[in-house]
This record gives sequence, C-alpha cells and structure tokens, in this order.
Amino acid sequence: MTQLPRPRLLVVTGKGGVGKSTVSAALALALARSGQRTLLCEVNSGGGATALMGYPPAGPELSHLDGELWSVDVRPAEAMREYVLSKIRFQRVYHAVFENPLVRAFLRFVPSLAETVMLGKVCWHMRETDGPRKRWDAVVLDAPATGHALTFLGVPQVLLDTLPPGTMAEEASWMRDMLVDPAVTGALVVALPEELPVLESIELAAGLRARHLSLLAVVLNQATAPRFLPDEVKALAALPRLQALARGHAEEAERTRDAVERLGALGAPVLELPRLYTGTMDQATVASLGTRLLSGLEGRP
Amino acid sequence: MRPLAEALRSRGVVVCVGPGGVGKTTLAAALALQGAALGRDSLVCTIDPARRLASALGLTELGNIARPISAAELRAADVRLAAPVEAMMLDMKQSWDELIARSASPQQRDRILANRFYQSLSSALAGSQEYIALEKLWELHSSGKHQLVVLDTPPTAHARDFLDAPARVLDFLGTDTAKWLLKPALRGAKLGFRLVGLGGNLISRTLSGIVGGQTLADLAAFLLAMSSLNDEFQERARAVSALLASEETVVVLVTGPAAERREEAVRFHRSLLEQHLNVAAVVVNQVHAGVAPEDAEAAARLADPLRGKLERTISEANSLARADALGVSALREAVSPTPLLTVPRFPGEVHDLGALWRAGAYLVTDTASEEALAAAAAALGA
Repeated sequence: MTQLPRPRLLVVTGKGGVGKSTVSAALALALARSGQRTLLCEVNSGGGATALMGYPPAGPELSHLDGELWSVDVRPAEAMREYVLSKIRFQRVYHAVFENPLVRAFLRFVPSLAETVMLGKVCWHMRETDGPRKRWDAVVLDAPATGHALTFLGVPQVLLDTLPPGTMAEEASWMRDMLVDPAVTGALVVALPEELPVLESIELAAGLRARHLSLLAVVLNQATAPRFLPDEVKALAALPRLQALARGHAEEAERTRDAVERLGALGAPVLELPRLYTGTMDQATVASLGTRLLSGLEGRP
Repeated sequence: MRPLAEALRSRGVVVCVGPGGVGKTTLAAALALQGAALGRDSLVCTIDPARRLASALGLTELGNIARPISAAELRAADVRLAAPVEAMMLDMKQSWDELIARSASPQQRDRILANRFYQSLSSALAGSQEYIALEKLWELHSSGKHQLVVLDTPPTAHARDFLDAPARVLDFLGTDTAKWLLKPALRGAKLGFRLVGLGGNLISRTLSGIVGGQTLADLAAFLLAMSSLNDEFQERARAVSALLASEETVVVLVTGPAAERREEAVRFHRSLLEQHLNVAAVVVNQVHAGVAPEDAEAAARLADPLRGKLERTISEANSLARADALGVSALREAVSPTPLLTVPRFPGEVHDLGALWRAGAYLVTDTASEEALAAAAAALGA
C-alpha cells in the first residue's frame, strides 16, 4: 500500500451541530476501506461518531470495528489514568494518589489537565509503532466544537507559556510540534451554508492559523445544488405555498453558492457534501459521504 | 397556559442549556422578548451571539453592560411589549477580573491577577466559562434590576460540565480539600507553598513527578492566594447553586430534531433532573414542516420540468418532516412528564427582531406549536 502525501492526523472541527461527527466517521470509514489502518478518535463524546456507522458507541478502550478500522472515545479519567500509569507504572500508587478524593478535587480544578491528557492520548496514538512502521496510517480526530477545539488544540502552547520546565512542559512541547507540522497534522473545518456557521468557520480558520495548524480543507455539509430558475419561481405566483417552497429551495442553493465563495477565500479546497433527506444515518450513507470526501481531499473529481 | 408562559410570568431566572448549533441564543432572546410582552422587565444575557443577532439586539460590543433593545426597532418590527427589555453580551475575562476585584483586598487582588495560573484560568482554560456565567447570573438576579433574567449558556455536550461548575468550586474550596492541601502552607511562616515540601508524602511526590515540582508550587501559590477569598467564594458558589435549585429558576433544554441529537438530549434531560433542577420544558428547535397533500396535488397538475422539480422538493421536505416528527414523538415520550415544545424551521435564519418574536410565540402560545405539529402530522399521513 502506498502512503498518500497527506498528514496522518486529521483534525475535524467546526461549529456545534454542523456534522463534525458525520464527517469524521465518513472520513475514517473511507480511509479504512481504502486499505489504510485508521483510528477514529472521539473526545469525550459518548462515542456518537462510531455509532453513526452502526457500531456500538466507542468506549474508552480501543475497539476494532471492522477491517482496518478502529475507534476510541478519549475520556478524561481514563486518559489521566493511562498517562499517569505510563509515568509511574505502579497501579497501587495510582490508586493511592489519583483515586484519593482530595487529589481528584485538586486535579479537577486544573481544567487544562483534562484537555492535556486527552490530547496527549491522541498524540500518543500517533506515535504508536507496529514493528518498523507506525501503527496507524491515519488518525481521524473528531475534535470538539470551535471554542473548545481552539482551547483543546491550544493547550500545549498555553502550557508552554504557563509552565516552568519540567515533565509536563516537555510533553506539551512534543505535542505542539506534532500539531503544527503540516506533514503530520491537517485540520478540516466543517461548515453549513448558513451565516453563523460560515462566519464561525472563517474565525475558526483564523484561530487554527494563529495556532499554526495547517488547514487541509473546508467541508461544506448540507450543500444544496441549484434546481429552480428565477422564472420558474415567478411562474408559481398563483400557488403561494408552492412558490414559497420553490423560493426556499432557490434560497438554499443561493446560500450554498455564497458559502462556497466565502469559504473558498480561506485558501483551502471547499468539499461539498450534499444535503441528505433520509433523517437517519446508516453505514452505507456514511460510506458514500466518505468516498466523496476522500476523492476531494486527494484532488480527484 | 403554556408551561413557559407560566415560567416567564412567575419566575426570576430562565437558563437555556443545550448543545451547540441548535439556536439556544436565539431562543433565549426570543424568551426575553416574550417575558417583556407579559409585562416583566427582562434581560437576556448572551454568550456568543451571531453578529446579525447581536446587532438586532443592539449589542455592538462585549463588556457586561446591559443595553435596552431599541423601542423604535421593536415598533418597526411590530413587536409590542408591556415592559422594557435589555440585552447584554458576557465578557468572560472581565467577569473573572470583576469577581476577584470584588472579593479581594487590593494587595491580594494584584497578587492573584498577576499569577499566570489565574491568567490561564480566566482566559485560556476550558471549564471556567461555565462557572463565571452562573456567577454573573447570580449577580444579575440579585441586583434586582430586572424581574426576569434569561441566560444563554456556553454550548456543552454534557449538562454536568455546566451545572457542576459551582459545586466543583465549592468542592475544591470546601473545607476538607482546601485545608488538607493548604495546611502545610498555612502553617508555614512563608507564603511559599509547602505541598511540595510535604517531604516523604507519597501523594505530593507523585504529583510533582507528574506535573513538575515547580508547577505544583506555582499552582499552590495561586490556590493559597485564592484561598484567602475562600469564604467569599464558598458563600458565592453556594448562593449560585442555591439559586439554580430554587423555585426562582427554571431550566429550558434546547435541542434540534436530528436523530443524532436525540440520545444526547435524553441524557442531558436526565442529568438535569438528577440535579433537582426545575426543567420547565424541552424545546426542539428548527423542526421541518411537511407539505400539505393538496399542495402536492396542485404540483402534480403542473407541466414539466417544473412539476418534476416540485415533486422532488416536496418529497424531500416530507421525508425531513416525517423523520423529525418521529424523532420529536420519541423524545417527547422519553422526557415525559417534562413538556416538549417545538419551534418550526423558518426559511432563512432567525436574526431580526420580527423573526425572534415569531419564534418566541411558539414557546408561549397554545396554538402556534400545535399548528406546527399538525403540519408535521399531515406530512406523516401523506
């Protein structure tokens, strides 16, 4: 299998409710089906992205879904535990210290710690090896929504700015280096053809740039292709409810066109996913979206 | 009367919670307008409104300053209110600074504001937004300037992230934890924190091994400075929790109709109830309406290509409406006996005062929501 010239860590983010999980699941499924060993990482989401493909929701343990596809829901408590155990290697010390209610309260008061250990786990998976090669050909990160995503992805830098040299600062440093290397990490911003998600995507792209993450593509979800001509809408004057329906459709297509134009100015390809009318998601639907995304990313028509 | 009309008329605080992207800010503003229409002097406190929504509300900048929504613009949008309504945009960083300034002596204050942990706490780190939003709510409510305060909240996937915030602060600053962690320092003559100096203590040794000794010492210095505000904080956090749980407050859970949202909403709802909050209603926003059968028949009588295009559009609209209606009825059953209200999806986006007003009507009047349901049901039967 040939390694594609694209980053191994694909960070999917966007405004809440735009379909980040769908895009993450679709991308992971398509990558796995193209023969690449793929890990879908959710972040304390309850495993919803995995469930979209018809599998049981991802849990905190790595689970093999099918073929080359694995998934995990990275949760703070488990990630903390793994991280600490990797440092101190003694289960009993872990229990004595980290399951002490007072210490737990102490640690909870440092909110970045949760983000750090969760992001740390994702980065750790990136480093996993399987013999001479990396274990994962691709890691798809279903990242939190805009504000939280920028906090999440900015955690290493904040730590570097905040912490004196020490163990955590060292961790923060290699995590940051991994995230800002365009050969390793690329971000996909998911948007909808509506004002707020488009504006937020533009701000998000700026925020990612400020954190030196490379923007791989913008995914415009729920895109509507033009259908009604202006004259056709006018011709329905005698049937006001049908005219409203046609006008509504034409406006959606217009908003899609407008969004493509504005998002296109971000300097990354805009990949359109068509609006679906099924109401529920199944694996076949997710797979078809994934195939489109992958073709788009690879610059195929 | 609709449960939300009842709440707007009689309660002092409405907190809108829910995941991102479901129109929470919009509905919070719509509820404040309806509150004012019911004669209550109202305020909507928003977190991060869309620009056009912010400008419709007369908000041009952050800064924790409540500004009246322009009477002229309300008139122009044909919104008739019986009491004034104001809006504000919450500035997280400023709210933290104000909280510290209010609680600390000038000397303490400077020490806290200069500490790098404080600077991260108030600006960069996740989790503190939730607490400060609730803290602000308490302040707004207690000032007594408004009869009704509607709070929009940061989007959270988990209700606990948000509603636990005061408890978390309390928990940490609670006597046991604080005393235990701070005891050595409080005993020591110097301010320099001694958690690290606990000597052979396994816990402190392990913690320093993980986060670095200096980090722990710095964090401890911060906590020590904060602990001088311990009583203030405890009292305030307790007051915030008490306000949330009181009869004065109702919570409105806002969600969307998509199937993927349903389980999330059910979980959210359950955890609100577990915390003994008064959940006034679950609101499903942006529900698709179907096309009436007679309209479909009218389309069928037209000539192609218009007929084909319309039929395709009608079938898509009905698919969406059918899926939404099924989802809404499943959710309604799952959250029962909490009332569930639906707000239809409006063509375009709800940004101007007129649209906010129309959306709000679905939350407080008996008929509007029923009509939306009837339309969805018609589509189901079609």
